[in-house]
Amino acid sequence: MATRLMFENSCEVGVFSKLTNAFCLVAIGGSESFYSTFEAELADVIPVVKTSIGGNRIIGRLCVGNKNGLLLPHTTTDQELQHLRNSLPDQVVVQRIEERLSALGNCIACNDHVALAHTDLDRETEEIIADVLGVEVFRQTIAGNILVGSYCSFSNRGGLVHPHTSIEDLDELSTLLQVPLVAGTVNRGSEVIGAGLTVNDWTAFCGSDTTATELSVIESVFKLREAQPNAIVDEMRKSLIDSYV
Amino acid sequence: MESSLKQKLFVCLLKGVVQADFVFFDPKPDDFHGVKILLQTYLDDTQWDLSGFVDLILAQTTVGTVVKIEGDDDDTPFAIVTALNLGRYKDHKCIKELKEFLLKVCQEKDVIRDLRLLMGEQAHDVGLLVSQRVVNLPPQLLPPLHDALFDEVSWATEDEPTAELRNSFRFKCYLLVSKIYKHKNANQKNNRNLIRRSGSDGGDGIVYIKPEDENFHKLSLWSFSFPMHTQQVETQEANYCLMGFVMAVETAKISTFRQQLQSLVVES
Repeated sequence: MATRLMFENSCEVGVFSKLTNAFCLVAIGGSESFYSTFEAELADVIPVVKTSIGGNRIIGRLCVGNKNGLLLPHTTTDQELQHLRNSLPDQVVVQRIEERLSALGNCIACNDHVALAHTDLDRETEEIIADVLGVEVFRQTIAGNILVGSYCSFSNRGGLVHPHTSIEDLDELSTLLQVPLVAGTVNRGSEVIGAGLTVNDWTAFCGSDTTATELSVIESVFKLREAQPNAIVDEMRKSLIDSYV
Repeated sequence: MESSLKQKLFVCLLKGVVQADFVFFDPKPDDFHGVKILLQTYLDDTQWDLSGFVDLILAQTTVGTVVKIEGDDDDTPFAIVTALNLGRYKDHKCIKELKEFLLKVCQEKDVIRDLRLLMGEQAHDVGLLVSQRVVNLPPQLLPPLHDALFDEVSWATEDEPTAELRNSFRFKCYLLVSKIYKHKNANQKNNRNLIRRSGSDGGDGIVYIKPEDENFHKLSLWSFSFPMHTQQVETQEANYCLMGFVMAVETAKISTFRQQLQSLVVES
């Protein structure tokens, strides 16, 4: 199910949070109700961790992660890095990278298998993404925009992209990502999908301006209605135990 | 090498003068996102029905102006100005929350009674004057912007289709919610010497973010300030702190204000 909420008076939920199948990061300094909404939905299943990145609250736009890892920009302080390493599950590799384009959340969008990256990203960064996040990396644009992380959001089950994405691009991306994609908006017509919502395989959080129509598109493309969080996490746990053995 | 050339070009552009033609528009539903951003900190960091407030402003097309740049593809609002009748919209959630907020932050006993009256019994005669803009909006726009507002109010009293609507624009008083920088020692009389800055605050320890607020303040019936949690990005002087500022200005004083505004811009 998708939940609507606000961070202070902003509907840009994807700016102040980062949700994956293994953990959830939430910006510090917002009201307690922001944090507790995430807690209420996720607490039994995955850890919800409050943090800042480089002293900033815009954590969703600065970092990128999935169930395998979390990549942080060079602006992340040592204390923040340690805090995240301590708070996240052991199987999530937390790494700080030296990439000039430090708003990683704007430049990269990923799920547990594939990542879309900004065309000007360092070759070295691309290798780290592939390695730490365990994904195949594709350099792409979305409706002519290079900030792929801002203009799309996808999970292992589906994705939402910039409303002006052409049908051909939609098909091409869908083939690359191997998930169904829909061109749409969030927060009452906002094209900045990545900033307006954050999603994983069983739940999504979006700004309270999101209309009922937009919400129903989100629930449909990300297949949230039939989602069973415990089943998904158990599946993940089984595969992890296999790999230890 | 290519990136340093790009940087040099960018710096050249910064040193040059940018020509911009500003256009005034009636509010329309598409302006929602831009106007919402302008009003983000209207009531400090309180969580309230800001979206509902923006919808209210955009629905009132007869009175209200949105300033944009000619030929701008993004269609971004640079300023919004409007007057909302507190009585007409009293049942809207956003207006109720706004009233609650103002009553909560008003720390001055002499003023709170007047405030309550203005927002309660006298609400149908009161216009909430909403005026927000980007920080660097050229001051030359202020006189025509305010003229547009007050002219539209006066036209509405004649042109609106129903008597009820026409009367709703016969404001006796305007209520303004704004922001100022107040010197931290402004209330302490023995620190008068410290307050004398380089003339930028006129000696009373207040720096007006919107220049016309100084005129409104001098003509106001009453005013009060309250501490804010949100910090403006550029706090140039560590001795000043950002405060919310609420004023009530009688309609009778508006023509004086309009004259003063003309000369304010000529001086700068």
